[in-house]
Amino acid sequence: MKSLETLRNELGIAEPWLESRGTWWLNPGTIGVRHVAKVMNEMNARFITITAYQLPGTEGFRLEYHWDLHGRLLGLPFVIAGNASESPKFDSIFDICEAADWIEREIHEEYAIDFTGRAYEPLLLRKGDKPGVNLREDPAKPKPAVAAPGPKEVAQ
Amino acid sequence: MSYKIPMGPYHPGLEEPYKLDMICEGETVQDAELNIGFNFRGIEHLAETRNYFQVIALMERVCGICSFIHTLTLCQAMEQLAGLEAPPRARYIRTAMAELERLHSHVLWAGIAAKLMGFKTMFMTCFALREKVMDVLQAISGNRVNYSMNRVGGVNRDIEDPLALLPLIDELEREMMRTVIPIFTTSSTARSRCAGIGILTPEKAVSCAVVGPTARASGINQDLRRDAPYAAYAEMKFEVPVEKAGDVRARLFVRALEIMESCRILRQALTDMPPGEVAVGGDKFAFVTGTATSRVEAPRGEVIYSVSWKEGSRNPARVHVRTPTYVNMPAIRWMVRGARLADTPLIQASIDPCYSCTDR
Repeated sequence: MKSLETLRNELGIAEPWLESRGTWWLNPGTIGVRHVAKVMNEMNARFITITAYQLPGTEGFRLEYHWDLHGRLLGLPFVIAGNASESPKFDSIFDICEAADWIEREIHEEYAIDFTGRAYEPLLLRKGDKPGVNLREDPAKPKPAVAAPGPKEVAQ
Repeated sequence: MSYKIPMGPYHPGLEEPYKLDMICEGETVQDAELNIGFNFRGIEHLAETRNYFQVIALMERVCGICSFIHTLTLCQAMEQLAGLEAPPRARYIRTAMAELERLHSHVLWAGIAAKLMGFKTMFMTCFALREKVMDVLQAISGNRVNYSMNRVGGVNRDIEDPLALLPLIDELEREMMRTVIPIFTTSSTARSRCAGIGILTPEKAVSCAVVGPTARASGINQDLRRDAPYAAYAEMKFEVPVEKAGDVRARLFVRALEIMESCRILRQALTDMPPGEVAVGGDKFAFVTGTATSRVEAPRGEVIYSVSWKEGSRNPARVHVRTPTYVNMPAIRWMVRGARLADTPLIQASIDPCYSCTDR
């Protein structure tokens, strides 16, 4: 707990840690992700991944940054405003945390989120394709019918 | 004058689809660029179109070697969202299966590493051993690759007589002690091909946030089985092998020692397995709205699943998978710098890469 409190103080966040389903969550509020990444490096926290979620309608996206601190899984969520017609922008931490390289590139490809201050070529997973074609949905368009196989097809 | 040598996406040294462009001066590698995505399957997108039964079968296919680990990680996350906890016997079965999978993966890797060293007899020995591990997996699950063991709330099959498996573990350990470990650790062929090759310094290992045996061979003492225990690992006694050299030989040593520790854990899991049911929750689950994250120490390192659900839905809203190779692979760039071109297939293989996981 002591290391978590030290980390919270170093980050300059007043809100307490919230433990939920095995993850220690901290709301970063107005603190930028680059500051968080720098402090995590200083505290010897290990970067794990970023999970991106598209929020309903035109609410934008949520990026959950995960670090490991002495076996504790930490989560810091950041919300980015954005709509279907534009590429939302968010700070890259690649120059501070090189382990974030591939996941930033992947999120750029899947959701067309631009991590500012870095290059994207060559694309990682869908070379030659435009960004945002895999997981990003256009809220204006209805979701296509589920193409999952039924029990009959599974049995075959 | 420098020149670029492409290795892959289809190369006899590594029969998996990825590409490493190496910039060489003579026979020495100066730098390298990695390209993946040749078999990208869009599994995270597919997961959103599958119900809570189908998604388990789908994620089992992320990886052919650690298929059990993927469903274990997914089911642990789904159990958090359903408010379920696997019963004690199921947690022991999960531990035993996870360690058998580690044995299978490490022995398979040892065989491939031996082949890349030009040590084909050892390749055959390792693959014969691997068959024995797969026989045990088949005896438990009825399957050799995708075991279909995990379900939300526990496991699908019981191990009816766990003690009957102990002689198989003894035999496996004896064979490892008698042939594989002595040859890998003392033979001049293994030493000359592995020692001082493909070094990943502790600083670079931290910077790249590598995981699993790749991290532990660079002096980073981390293992989720000990640091954030899941299944029945909190009740197991075992050591976490750590080497400091950071070369191919250290990665080989760590895996060899982990094989012995896996046998130790297996013996405990099979001997102390408590009686009782193997699953709870029936066939219908009520998932709450929210996100759950689960981590497991796979043979290659940490696997993490973030699963998001909307209450009342049969399908997950989002499943994000971060596999160990995804973080270990970028470190290859630093391992091959300054290496001889002929050593690069073995250096790449030394992280035990899985492109199926990476191109999930």
